[in-house]
Amino acid sequence: MDNALKTKSLTLGYRERIVINDLSLELPEGKVTAILGPNGCGKSTLLRALARLMTPLSGTITLGSDDIFAIDTRALARRLAILPQAPRAPEGITISDLVRRGRSPWRGLLAPWSAADAEACARALNDVGLADMADRPLDELSGGQRQRAWIALILAQDTSYLLLDEPTTWLDLTHQLEVLSLLRDRNQHHGATVITVLHDLNLAARFSDHLVLLGSDGLVAVGPPEQVLTADNLHKAFGLSALVMADPVTGAPMVVPR
Amino acid sequence: MTRSIILAAVLLFAILLSLMIGQVMLSPATLWAGLSTGQGPAALTIRVLRGPGIATAVGAGAVLGLSGTIFQILLRNPLAAPDVMGFTSGAGLAVIFGVMAGLALPTPVLAALGGSAAAIVVAVLSLRRDGSQTTITLILVGLGVGFFTAAAGSFILTRLPPQEAAEAQRWLSGSLAARNWGHVAQVFGVGAVLTLVLVIQSRSLALLELGDDLAKGLGLRADRAKWGLSATGVLLAATGVAVAGPVPFVALMAGPLGARVTRARHPAARLAAAAVTGATITVLADLAARASIPGLQLPVGVMTGIFGAPYLLWLLAREIETGDL
Repeated sequence: MDNALKTKSLTLGYRERIVINDLSLELPEGKVTAILGPNGCGKSTLLRALARLMTPLSGTITLGSDDIFAIDTRALARRLAILPQAPRAPEGITISDLVRRGRSPWRGLLAPWSAADAEACARALNDVGLADMADRPLDELSGGQRQRAWIALILAQDTSYLLLDEPTTWLDLTHQLEVLSLLRDRNQHHGATVITVLHDLNLAARFSDHLVLLGSDGLVAVGPPEQVLTADNLHKAFGLSALVMADPVTGAPMVVPR
Repeated sequence: MTRSIILAAVLLFAILLSLMIGQVMLSPATLWAGLSTGQGPAALTIRVLRGPGIATAVGAGAVLGLSGTIFQILLRNPLAAPDVMGFTSGAGLAVIFGVMAGLALPTPVLAALGGSAAAIVVAVLSLRRDGSQTTITLILVGLGVGFFTAAAGSFILTRLPPQEAAEAQRWLSGSLAARNWGHVAQVFGVGAVLTLVLVIQSRSLALLELGDDLAKGLGLRADRAKWGLSATGVLLAATGVAVAGPVPFVALMAGPLGARVTRARHPAARLAAAAVTGATITVLADLAARASIPGLQLPVGVMTGIFGAPYLLWLLAREIETGDL
């Protein structure tokens, strides 16, 4: 069954300011997609709309054959999870308490905590490598661990789509790689469709199958990294003069500003 | 767990102490005899003189504590309590106004109307042009509404006959004098219904605590849930005000204090701790109000004010220091 996330003639904006204009796009199922572009190009806005966190001015977003704005809120939350940019944790919350809340779309109003819920949480904690720290408060963790705890929250949600808004912001390079490898792994071994907004072009190229490059005037290019990250496209999107060469480690395109 | 038991034990101890101390002192033995047999000198003191006031204090303190914690979690700020934001004084003003105008509405209904009106005024006045709200504006507007209701209350007092004015004055500062079992039934009855609603809503509170975007992503209709929780919060506060007057600072202090003692983190646990702590604070404040000056019963609100105001100042200083204000 076709379960792709698609936008059709999508226009997004706040009040008078249009941020995304008439965008038609398909985000392929089972792939890792990164949305790239300069500040203010609307990449976060687009991701928020894909997760139904904002209403389009016009156009539609469909998941498979369903209009996402017509799906029941909880039903959508079982198919698609979003981790917003820099989420703020309640004071003193423990990792396990945080991750348990990821089960809410699966639980009835007064349903007790089930074995399936416990299993999903244990699996999520295990997958992000925090199983032995579950009772630690979030505020005691390092930046990378904290981000992995947030990712465990949306993994416990057990959805086929994972949307993440700048999941690597504020992290040092090692932790950025760790987070992106984790997402890559979710895609390769669990078939999750991952859609991220990223700042770092080289990391995006290295960890994604599919890139969406936005400029200040809308879509610049979409497709596999080697087709999207070209000197010409980079100039259009960022006004950047850069050399694109093969990453000596992975062979993915690597952007070197001139 | 043990910490929750300690909290409950402190409440029980406060209740017993409060039953024993007053113009007539009861020894533990007399108290026990009165409680167990319903006979003897203590029985009258318990059943008529002190019992209703103390039971009302427990109920009112609990609902105020719950209300404060709802708003503190919802607005992510320990200052965001219904007493700081003017909701309780709005409820109090409506009751006094009802008395002056001779309205035939029952006190809880008047309190609920006044509390809701104050909440709506605060919510609307703190709206920014783009439709968003910041907690600090809510709190400042709430303080302003609180000053306004205090002034309006004073004005109404001057319109009342002297006898009623004196009584209304006491009640406006929060008073548990001359309570009867009807008040007790009222606060526990209405409180129980609202608490049941809150139990169902507490899961949404646990999601909203993570921020609106995540809450929505986790399948919550965030806006609807916030409205529901705010309504429950306002009604809980009004329920307390209806029987005890707008006792200040209980709603503000109960949540943080309860969470500190029990180390509770989950909203449901924090709410439970806040209810018990609110009840304890109110019972102890009432005891202090009755026992501090022999022969004179101060309004309970004077006592919560004496402890609450320094706490509010300390909290303000801390918030300014950490940059949250």
